[in-house]
Amino acid sequence: MRRLSAAVLALGLTVAGAARGDEAFVTNQTGDDVTVLDLAAGRVVATIPVGGKPAGVAVAPDGARVYVTSPEGKYLTVIDAAARTVAARIPLEGGPLGVAVHPDGRTVYVADWYAAHVLAVDPVAGKITARFEVGASPSGLAVTPDGALLLSADRDSNQVSIVDLASGRRIGTIAVGERPFGVTLDAEGRRAYVANVASNDVSVIDVAARKVIGTVKVGERPYMVALAGGRGFVTDQYASQVTAFDLATLRPLKEIEVGEYPEGVQASADGRKIYVANWFGNTVSVIDVSALTVEAEHAVGDGPRAFGTFLRRTP
Amino acid sequence: MKFQLLAASAALVFAFAGAAEAHGPTRQKTSRSIEISASPDKVWKVVGDFQDGSWIPVVEKTEGQGGNDKDATRTLTLKDGATVKETLTKYDAEKMTFAYRITEVDVKVLPVTNYSSHITVTGEGDKATVTWNGAFYRGYPNNDPPAELNDAAAIKAVDDLYDASLKSLKDKVEKGS
Repeated sequence: MRRLSAAVLALGLTVAGAARGDEAFVTNQTGDDVTVLDLAAGRVVATIPVGGKPAGVAVAPDGARVYVTSPEGKYLTVIDAAARTVAARIPLEGGPLGVAVHPDGRTVYVADWYAAHVLAVDPVAGKITARFEVGASPSGLAVTPDGALLLSADRDSNQVSIVDLASGRRIGTIAVGERPFGVTLDAEGRRAYVANVASNDVSVIDVAARKVIGTVKVGERPYMVALAGGRGFVTDQYASQVTAFDLATLRPLKEIEVGEYPEGVQASADGRKIYVANWFGNTVSVIDVSALTVEAEHAVGDGPRAFGTFLRRTP
Repeated sequence: MKFQLLAASAALVFAFAGAAEAHGPTRQKTSRSIEISASPDKVWKVVGDFQDGSWIPVVEKTEGQGGNDKDATRTLTLKDGATVKETLTKYDAEKMTFAYRITEVDVKVLPVTNYSSHITVTGEGDKATVTWNGAFYRGYPNNDPPAELNDAAAIKAVDDLYDASLKSLKDKVEKGS
């Protein structure tokens, strides 16, 4: 599946229109809801009340469910993506923030901002099934495409933890920059890119070697990274810009001005567009990956964070 | 009074003094603006000088380095003796906008953490609008905050500061002082 999308990405121009009809599920933390944005039409098609100051989001691999964390409400909301309704609310603990779904779709991982662990949640049973020990204030989460490893950006430990999902044990920690927040894996699960909020850079991790192989200087307060077309795209919150860099050379390519306080960022399935949630500006900016320019900006709800994977491919 | 001194919060602050940059999970935002009967240029001359915070009524003096260049710093000394340290993160004189962040403030002075803001002047002719956007976390970095350091207290403190300062700016510019 992942390999297929990488192959499609390589074909590039021959799959024009692949993103048509795709949707963004944007968590509006101030507004306490989720905006569903039709990306082809550039308009809002639904607003789903969630409550509890929603922040993290992860779309299930099959696109049927969207999982949203509410750190103040201390719960995980399960959204029926097609029906645009809340299917379930699962009470959790602490401050649920970062969220990721296993490739098999059966387990949802939730970082507890106030603790030093990640919760494994069975979304059907609505229960916490395990707690994995990580560092302090775990933030962004990512699961390797083979489903073997979970990566956690431990914000207040300045490290990334690697958890073996079969045993539930942490098998490694990697020191990164200061206050890592978002963590993004490439399609093969070989490299991870971690945005370091306080040191204004991105650490590039070789997952198998478990070490940092490069650092990219970016703008002020980087939040997270998206990958497309051999390029990385980093949201620099205080600079109101996205820094684009080359994944091979790790050299910056361009600073692209977007809305105020850009946060969540993700590439479209066809790798041609980057979608950026602007937290203060209440918009989503659309960046053309090859031109490195903003081609559109769409209004969403109040305080969009979209921290995680928020794009859904429609069937 | 904008900068309330809360004994209870002061005690809590010191307990978290070591947790630099730790913060709650929900960043707050606020936006205040005011219309001023003056040209945008004239308003920008007053508000756009990062090295002079005297239009903010609680500020006694401004000391800094780097002028209006990115990464310039300033220390505001308030009338009650407290200090606030700030860094300029963005400055665009053409667009009449700048952004800065607070690098050091005690939550008993302003009950927020990780504060940053944008100030923008717009308008034409003899009408200007100043918009002040603030982004910050509550003063209490952990779960279940006490009332004086919760989200509502943070927003109220910043709103009060912005409203009083914008009013003072309007008076100052319109009276041509």
